[in-house]
Formats: sequence, structure tokens, C-alpha cells
Amino acid sequence: MHIPDGLIAPQAYLAAAALVVPCWAFAVRRVSRALDERTIPRLAVLTALAFVLSTIMVPLPGGTSAHLSGMGLLVLAFGLWPAFLAFSTVLALQALLLGAGGITALPVNALIMGLIGGGVVAGAHSLVGGGRSAWATVIPVWLGVVAASLGMALVLGLQPLLGRDETGQPLFFPFGPEVTLPVIVLPHLVLGALEGFLAWVVLGRFDFCRATA
Amino acid sequence: MKDRIVLIFWLAAVVAITFVHEPVVLAALLLIVLISIGRSAPGIARRALAAVALVNLTVSIAFVLSAWLAGDAWLQFVLRLNLRVFLLALLTFWMIRHVDLARAAAPWPSLQFIVVLALGQIRTFSALLADYRMAFASRSPTRPPLRVRFDGAGRQAAAMMEKAESQAEDLTQGMRARGFFDDCQDARDYNRKNNREENCEDSRKDNCEDNREHNWPDANDRSRLND
Repeated sequence: MHIPDGLIAPQAYLAAAALVVPCWAFAVRRVSRALDERTIPRLAVLTALAFVLSTIMVPLPGGTSAHLSGMGLLVLAFGLWPAFLAFSTVLALQALLLGAGGITALPVNALIMGLIGGGVVAGAHSLVGGGRSAWATVIPVWLGVVAASLGMALVLGLQPLLGRDETGQPLFFPFGPEVTLPVIVLPHLVLGALEGFLAWVVLGRFDFCRATA
Repeated sequence: MKDRIVLIFWLAAVVAITFVHEPVVLAALLLIVLISIGRSAPGIARRALAAVALVNLTVSIAFVLSAWLAGDAWLQFVLRLNLRVFLLALLTFWMIRHVDLARAAAPWPSLQFIVVLALGQIRTFSALLADYRMAFASRSPTRPPLRVRFDGAGRQAAAMMEKAESQAEDLTQGMRARGFFDDCQDARDYNRKNNREENCEDSRKDNCEDNREHNWPDANDRSRLND
């Protein structure tokens, strides 16, 4: 789902950076306080896990791609803030090691997929009463994926309004929300359900492994 | 130092290029970058092209079609988009070839630890995932039904999560064994939490003497060094 460099206007990615940097600082403080000295190895391993979970990407028409982000799974297994930090680090590593995603788009990707998507998963999970039942896993993850795709579609759809040259041609991503919303959100309605179902299967196995370890 | 300079230069260049909209200027910059890269330019350009081709082609074709149907001009935008995205990808792949991320993160020890440990763990998990996939494929002489494949994927992810949990604990223990953590802080926190009066000054002294004996810095020395 994440956006490459060159499609997002500086006004959008700088604004996203201004929003996401304090969130990163807050997350670091929260995670450090909660996990003490285990923070570094735990975050590193979580980052590696998130990286591997998100290695499969399926390109979508409309300038973006779809993949099992693993964000919902991480939020349900480890909590919102560690998951947000790990996911942001993954996005940075993907941009800096693989050239995937883009560094200017990193704040937008982290904000929408990590914080909004993750926040919706955590919020919905507590709203449905927590636990690891199918509904308490699939619905929050599905909502998180759909919310993130909605945010991404809106940010991309906003780009034609943020920059046009004197002839009226767009400077960045050219299609408005009337194109981006159906192109990005509709496939994620299905992908979100798949990811939710996978998260339920994985968490069930994970709890079983933990209990028998 | 070199890695940091290259990283900062790349970041500044990437941000600056997003402010350039004239295709002629973008083409000139692309030419300059290709010449500057030198002999490795074809290899880097091929990787950059492969990374952006799908997105660029999709957006370009969709835009050309919609502009053609509406009778609008499209060339300026298509040139701008493709030149800019390709130029950014080219710079990124050039940076990837020249920057060691762990060395670039050296001034921030915690970040450096995370980068080094995460990169090592990524290799471990990727190898593990490849093993699982190959094992699954070798057990399946014909293509298994969707339910089985889904279940297999779930088990692989769960095994990796379980592995991640134990790896985090192993890494923590390994780092503790090498004197990375201030164990006395743990004892003080425990005492504080349990309203216990005794402190661990004696064990702290022992720990510090032990560290000096082995010529290891203790946790406080390290935090001063980091500051």
C-alpha cells in the first residue's frame, strides 16, 4: 500500500513529518518506560519480524501496492506503540535498503499505516472487548486495514489539488479521490479480511506456542 | 562519517528534487547523476528502473488514456512524473550502494543497536521463512488447496512470532552477559516497587569491579560515553 518517492507534494509530506515526529518521540518514551532495558533487542526483533511479514507486495493500479502489512498482527500481539515504532523502522529500512516506499513518503506511510491503521486496530479491539476470538481479531484488523487504505487514498487524491503547473497539468500524483478511493479502498476490503483472518490464525498458533513453551 | 555525509546529501537531494517540476531540468539532473555514478550507472539504472517501472507505467498509461479521452495534453506530466521518480530511485539505489546504515547511525548508539540487531534478525527470519516455504513446497507434490496454503502461511507467521519472542529474550540475555545493562538498576527498581529498603550498592561495586577486571565499561560509563 505504501507510496513511492516523487508522487507526494512537499506540502503533504512535510506536514505529515511535523505530525509523525512527535508521535515517534512519544512512542519511544512509552516503549522505553514499558519495556526498560529489553527495549532495544525487543524492538529490533519486532522490526525484523514486521519486515519479513511485509515482504510480499502486490502492485495495484493507481500508483500503489498491496501487501499483508502485519501491522494489525503486531498491534494485537505487542501493543500499539511498540508496533508503531517497529513498523516505522521497517518502512525506513525498506526505503534505505531496498528503495521501496520512499523516504519522502515515509512520514505519510508511517502516519497512515502505522499510527492511524494501528490506532484503529487497537481502538476497535478494545471496543469489541479484547480477547483472541475470531471476531475480536478479524474485525479490528479489517477495520485497521480499511482505515489505512482510506487514509492513503485521500492523501493521494489530495495531490492534484496541491500542485498544478500553469497549463493545469498536475505536478504530483494526478488522480483525485474519485479515482483513488475505489482503486485503493475496494481491494483492501478483501485484503483486510484476509489479513484479519490470517492474524486470527497466527495469534491462535502464537498463543498455543507460548502456552506450550 | 562518510556514510553520514552521503546519507545527508542524498536526503537533501531527494527533498530538493521534489521541488523541481520542469522536465528539462529533471532530464539534465538525471544526465548529471548518471555521468557522476560512472561505470556502475547501467547496473544501478537497471535496478532503479525495475523498482519504479510498474508504478510509473500504471500511472502514466492511466493518465494518458484519461487525458486522451478528455482531449487534454499529457506529455508534460508524463515526462515530469517519469523523470522525477526515476531520478529519485536512481539516487536512492546509488545511496544504498555507498552507505552502510549501521555506520551512518554511529552517533546514536541506541539507533545503531536497533539497526544492527534488526538487520541481523531480518537475515535470520528471511532464511527461516525460506526454509519453511521450501519445506511446505517439498511436502506438497501437487498444489495444495487454498485452506491448506492459508493454514501453512498462518503457521509460518506464528512460528516466526514465537521465534521473535525467544530471540528477543536471547538477545537481551546475551547483551546482559556482555555487560550492556545496569543490573543494579533492575534491583533498585525491584526494591522500589516492593518498598524494600535495601539497595544493591554492594553488588554494584562487585559488578563494577568485575567489569574493570575484564576491562569492560560499566553501564554508567557507557551512558556517559553515549552522552
